[in-house]
Amino acid sequence: MNQVWKRRLAYGGNASLVTAMVVGVLVLLYVLADAYRVRWDLSAESRNTLQADTEAKLALLDADGREVEIVAFTHQRGKDDSYLRDRAVADLLKEIDAHSRVVHYRIVDFDRERLTAERLGVTDYGRIVVMRGEDRVDIKDRDMFRRVGRGADKDLEFRGEAALSRAFSQLLSPTRRVVYVLRGHGEPDPQDRGPGGLSEMVSALDIERFDVEALSLARTDREGHAPQVPDDASLVVIAGPTGPLTHQEEDILLEYLAEGGAVLVALDIGSPVPGFVVRMGIRVPDGMAMDTRLVFPYRDRPVPVYKAHPLTEGLREGDRIVMLGAPAPLSLADPPPEGARLDPVLVTGRDGWIERGGPTEGGNPVYQPDIDGAGPVVMAAAVQLLPGRGIVRSSKGIARAVVIGDSEWMTNALLQEGPGNRDLLLNTIHWLAGDDQRLGATVGRRAATRRLALTREETGRLRAISLFLLPSLVALLGLAVWTTRRGR
Amino acid sequence: MRVAWAIFKKELQIYFVSPLAYVFLGVFLLLAGLFFYMGVTSTGEASLRVMLGNLGISLLFLLPLLTMRHFADELRGGTFELMMTAPVPLWALLLGKWASTLALCAILLAGTGLFPAILAYYGDPDWGVVATSYLGLFLCCGAFVAAGLFSSSLTDEPVAGGMLGVVILLPFWIVGNTSELVDAAWLRELFRQLSFLTHLEPFSKGVIDTAAIAWFLLFTFGFLFLTWRSIESRRWR
Repeated sequence: MNQVWKRRLAYGGNASLVTAMVVGVLVLLYVLADAYRVRWDLSAESRNTLQADTEAKLALLDADGREVEIVAFTHQRGKDDSYLRDRAVADLLKEIDAHSRVVHYRIVDFDRERLTAERLGVTDYGRIVVMRGEDRVDIKDRDMFRRVGRGADKDLEFRGEAALSRAFSQLLSPTRRVVYVLRGHGEPDPQDRGPGGLSEMVSALDIERFDVEALSLARTDREGHAPQVPDDASLVVIAGPTGPLTHQEEDILLEYLAEGGAVLVALDIGSPVPGFVVRMGIRVPDGMAMDTRLVFPYRDRPVPVYKAHPLTEGLREGDRIVMLGAPAPLSLADPPPEGARLDPVLVTGRDGWIERGGPTEGGNPVYQPDIDGAGPVVMAAAVQLLPGRGIVRSSKGIARAVVIGDSEWMTNALLQEGPGNRDLLLNTIHWLAGDDQRLGATVGRRAATRRLALTREETGRLRAISLFLLPSLVALLGLAVWTTRRGR
Repeated sequence: MRVAWAIFKKELQIYFVSPLAYVFLGVFLLLAGLFFYMGVTSTGEASLRVMLGNLGISLLFLLPLLTMRHFADELRGGTFELMMTAPVPLWALLLGKWASTLALCAILLAGTGLFPAILAYYGDPDWGVVATSYLGLFLCCGAFVAAGLFSSSLTDEPVAGGMLGVVILLPFWIVGNTSELVDAAWLRELFRQLSFLTHLEPFSKGVIDTAAIAWFLLFTFGFLFLTWRSIESRRWR
């Protein structure tokens, strides 16, 4: 008996040792395989391969070493395409996570984990929050997906990688940029939280890593220096001045533009028009831009038509309305001044006109050819001033300006009410600041949505083949074999 | 190798002369059809991702039922001793049995070939994703069969062997989902690495990942080795 146990112990010990060694070797082999893995992306358009730009940003984040947390909220369950959207986001985040040591993600069910949503202040489905330390970038669902095409060809485009890549850029940006808001002419206050204030604009720009500072160009500073646009200015905003700019201010702003600066000018009806705006080829005729299509229930808010321009990126596809309050019409010089390129951005429809009073119908103004100006009417325009010609004498770079015939659109009231106002604001700021990548789909790619549009009849056929035909054929075959074999 | 080939043919023949393979194939195709129909109608997408994902977990439960008889039957029927004393190398025996069940799996998967054809007829599937998904599932089958053979070698009760197979495999499936609940990063990563889901993931997206292939092959080899040790131990136990 003792002999048998000794033998079992010896064999058993040996077997256990060999087994443990083999398992150890297998683990080691896997560790090596994992360390030297090679991946081939066979999917269409190499959907699972990150773009070089994204990989470069992830490498920079890794080098920095600070943890980046991405919290992705799910889409509304049962809603059109929610499954595909969630999956596209999850696939991309997994890929990003696999490429970085410091970037980690978590997918949060918006309906079930309300506490997380509340903690992060998220109130909408499909939002992605990218956080690193104190910094945070929010990506809305509409920045991740876009509907493209029409009718049967309508498809969902996934631009998630571009959006996340931009978010990484913002986190990597070592310094915050500054937007200066000109004061001293009755402009709305950036700190004012009331409906007519600009605090919403300040908050929106804060997320985009812009600081907003007040700028006064009328007086010399305490040390007696002549006023000038600070060197760190990404752009200057002139929002709804009620009084005219002084000659000194005009000269400073012209000088700033001549050095390749950027200016956003929002003028209301009756606002004094700065001279540099006129020099750029834009005039503001009397009257108000009007259209037969108005934002309900207002009688002075035409529904703008979006012209193809980086400023309207995302607005056209999303059909989001920019609300302008009683916009002033703009007249663009044709031909434009030397070295200037003028692009209409927001215009009225073909039935639009410049309203200059006269009788109304049911309270609504109507076009009177003898009084009113003919449309369509430009309500916002983008200007590019080429270096070395016209206004821009130096070769530092293109100067940019956006002129909008309304300042109310960027106030707290309309930034909240207008579905497209915030997008227009951010597009405008980024375009003026030279962030063309922020606007374009430089690293966008088509979604994995290969649609299968089936008719009712085709669905029925599919059900019959999938659930009945194949299993029945196999069952019959099995029965035949069994019957044949039993007969032997 | 010739012996392994002979065993392979004999085992495959056993499957197809009995109703077992047909019942199995019928159930499998019914499930596949159900998952395919549900996936296509619920997502509206020309993709097999839902079907192949669900077939993975279904095979985890089904394949041990196929492999359960391999050694348990021999042990119970008293043919095991005969087998062990025959001039057949143990590795050839193992390889033959494993390959025959894997061949049956290949036939099962080939049976679902009609579904991508349907997708191609009505839509435009991503063929790269379809091909890698099938490759991933095939590798997964190899791993399931190896674990099933091991469980079958542990007992002389086929049903117990089948259940044991599920008990062995299931943790490797669910550990991937539970990894998120673990706080310790190293444990989370360990769980993730142990999971079938982690290694099936690239295949389901159209990516061939050498590390994932290595994981499946090493898992398969590991369980075949354990089976070999388990059978070998019966000589001296």
